Amino acid sequence: MNRTYGYISVAGRKQLAVVRIALRQQWAYKTDFLLRACLLLLLLYVLGQLYGAAYAGDYDRAIGGFTLRQVVWYLVFTEAITMAGPPVGARIEEEVKNGDIAVRLTRPLSYVGFHYGSYMGEGVLRFIVLLVAGGMVAWLTVGPPALGYGPIAYLPLALLGLTLSFLMTAAVGLCAFWVEETRGLEFVLQKLTFTAGGLLIPIDLMPEWLQRVCAWLPFQAALYLPARLGVRFDGQELLRACSLQLAWIAALSLLVAFIFRRGAGKLHVNGG
Amino acid sequence: MKLALETRALGKTFKVKEKQAGLRGSLKSLFAPQWKEKTAVDRIDLSVSAGETVALLGPNGAGKSTTIKMLTGILHPTAGEATVAGLVPWRERTKLAYRIGTVFGQKSQLWYHLPPVDTFELISRVYELDRVDYARRRDRLVERFELGPYMHTPVRKLSLGERMRCEIAASFLHRPQILFLDEPTLGLDVVVKERIREIIRERNREEETTVFLTSHDAGDVERLCSRAIVIHHGGVLLDRPVALLRRELLSGKTITVTLADAEDPASVAEWFGRRAWSPMPEGVELAAIEGRRIRLAIDLARTDMNELLASLTQAARIADLTVEDPTLEDIIKHIYGMEKTKGGEPT
Amino acid sequence: MSGTARFLLASWKVNLASALEYRLSFFLLAGMMFVNNMIWLFFWYLFFGRFPVVSGWEMGDVMLLWAVSAGGFGWASVLFGNFPRIAAIVSSGQLDVYLSQPKPVLLNVLTSRMSVTGAGDFIFGIIVFLWVGELTPRGCLLFACALFVSGVLFIGVMVVAGSLAFWIGNAEGIAGQVFGSFIALTTYPTGIFRGAAKIILFTVVPAGFIGYMPIGLMRDFNPAFATAAFGAAAFFAAFGALLFRAGLARYASGNALAMRS
Repeated sequence: MNRTYGYISVAGRKQLAVVRIALRQQWAYKTDFLLRACLLLLLLYVLGQLYGAAYAGDYDRAIGGFTLRQVVWYLVFTEAITMAGPPVGARIEEEVKNGDIAVRLTRPLSYVGFHYGSYMGEGVLRFIVLLVAGGMVAWLTVGPPALGYGPIAYLPLALLGLTLSFLMTAAVGLCAFWVEETRGLEFVLQKLTFTAGGLLIPIDLMPEWLQRVCAWLPFQAALYLPARLGVRFDGQELLRACSLQLAWIAALSLLVAFIFRRGAGKLHVNGG
Repeated sequence: MKLALETRALGKTFKVKEKQAGLRGSLKSLFAPQWKEKTAVDRIDLSVSAGETVALLGPNGAGKSTTIKMLTGILHPTAGEATVAGLVPWRERTKLAYRIGTVFGQKSQLWYHLPPVDTFELISRVYELDRVDYARRRDRLVERFELGPYMHTPVRKLSLGERMRCEIAASFLHRPQILFLDEPTLGLDVVVKERIREIIRERNREEETTVFLTSHDAGDVERLCSRAIVIHHGGVLLDRPVALLRRELLSGKTITVTLADAEDPASVAEWFGRRAWSPMPEGVELAAIEGRRIRLAIDLARTDMNELLASLTQAARIADLTVEDPTLEDIIKHIYGMEKTKGGEPT
Repeated sequence: MSGTARFLLASWKVNLASALEYRLSFFLLAGMMFVNNMIWLFFWYLFFGRFPVVSGWEMGDVMLLWAVSAGGFGWASVLFGNFPRIAAIVSSGQLDVYLSQPKPVLLNVLTSRMSVTGAGDFIFGIIVFLWVGELTPRGCLLFACALFVSGVLFIGVMVVAGSLAFWIGNAEGIAGQVFGSFIALTTYPTGIFRGAAKIILFTVVPAGFIGYMPIGLMRDFNPAFATAAFGAAAFFAAFGALLFRAGLARYASGNALAMRS
């Protein structure tokens, strides 16, 4: 018991050290991610215009339970999560292809754990910037968000959502052990997250059959659930959303561990 | 003596895809790729005692990297056995990771946009070093490696030599029993190379760290290692103490003499043949005459350098004179030649 | 001229051979890009399922918009695959290679890479047109014109943005953002933009010309719009080429970083 605890606390401390150093390195990319935030501003502006045209400028009408203002804030919340994630899939692919993974394997630190730490370190910093920038656009175009528990619940759910995004991209990046380029797969993953995750359109506005499909996929747990609770809070929903996220995190962790083990095995056999 | 690492008939084969040239070849391999088995490492036996400094030498593609990757647990061998620091690398990789250090010349472990001190901190966590001990250790290494001025500069602003010093210091933080270095001096200038060899040698002396490095620089071997293992086509070609090697193989030098008062190249050749020495002293060969420059190949085992230089200066007025070591390629070619002609272990 | 043409053919052949070198990923990448675009169409299907007509645009119009945008982008990146990477090439000092060869520098840079994903984009554009487009000789001709104009605009805009690297230090990031934004803007109906935004889209950031193509050129042929679109394409292509040439005089080679993180 004690030893397990000791093991976990040591592993946790290593993880935190990675998060810290990733945060610092991200800080060196300040201009880069401010530029990124500009792209978000543009995207949100375009989407705001699109939904503004779709709602014909009517602020009171609710479609699929969403008013124009809620839709725009919903988009801020989903975009902030999506764009916060660093391109970890591409990094893993790069490391697998050029053999850097070999160097990482000679350190007593879990390979996937290392990338998770650096993903979260960078991701959290970007997330805050993106949220602030996106929030400003939304505020200027449709007014302030609904105050209450929503925005507060959104933050922890968004962190879990980021973790889910990490697991999904890492799984794809690790496929580089078998295919020469994973960029295509990664695109598809991104686009699945776009639609089945409800990035650009809340799942409630989709046809019923699709809503049912989405409910069975992990993508909505990464984006839709945090964002919807952010604009339309509901205590019971919060519990359900949270446990769903955790269940997906558990399942995907197993998947990533499995892929990594198989891939590392292949590496050991075939060389870097 | 305690063994640091040992291998028995360690071997590794890869499958590689074959492709014909041109667009048609590409299309063909797209649908029906042809595979070919390639032996990277051919059943090698090594044993290295604790505290030794060993150089693994060989031309590109000889199997150096594959060997080092098997010894660090990254690659699984297809044949044979190995123990490193008492562990089987590919079975107990994580456990082994605490006992060894690795420096891959091309692959930085330092975070590019951050000063080295941040990476050092991370490494202290990764290897679970005691805080107080770590701080003391770090300060000591910083002092010995003379890293003071660079510790707080982002890595991207360091020169290659400065970065390499940080890289090596970082790999000593956790007091590895064995340090594996893959081409540690590649791309560095002479002075920096020398400095790096010096600090590694010092660590080896003070802490008895076993050093196992790959290189294709003869200087690394001569100045840093006590033993050299030459591999070629995946097999061990030669394995012996550097002192012995120096006597046998590193004794060949090239002397280039520029004559001061011979203007006409043709007359130089003539002069050399007529006046210099006849017959040529033992162990000296005329390699080339280029204008006013004469190149001599010297075997120090058979010739006394003092006498040679004395007789040279007596024979002619000399404007310039350089003495060069043979390149590693030359040495390997030489060994390889001996291997072929004798058909066995060179003596 | 024929020397240049032969050179172009030769580089496209080499590109194709090297693209085929990565056997699985060739089909994977092209196919994935196709699927990627299909998923975007799916988003629009969902969107128009809720809001059937938005500012006069319907599902079919947006599909044609995607055919024009992806198709134009596709042929541009298959034949002139380096167009989004000019800033990176300039600022990392990789122009040396091209400068030492006796062929037009810009053309040489542009053609020395073939984007495999671009092939998927192009095929996607053609298939969507066959699916919802007007399959008459006139319709096909107009679509071909639309593809031509949009491809030239993509290249022109990126050459202009990329050439900034001759003058500004961190142009790589800026060019990347321009690239992302420009592509994004060409995939939304121009009808949703009003006022100043609309003016910008038809001048400084000429994404509007690509975006309006399905309406102004293919659905209700508008001579004024067609002329303006061709004019914009010609202008940006010429401006890009001139800017690049002017920049070459300022090119400082060999500032490539020796080490990457």
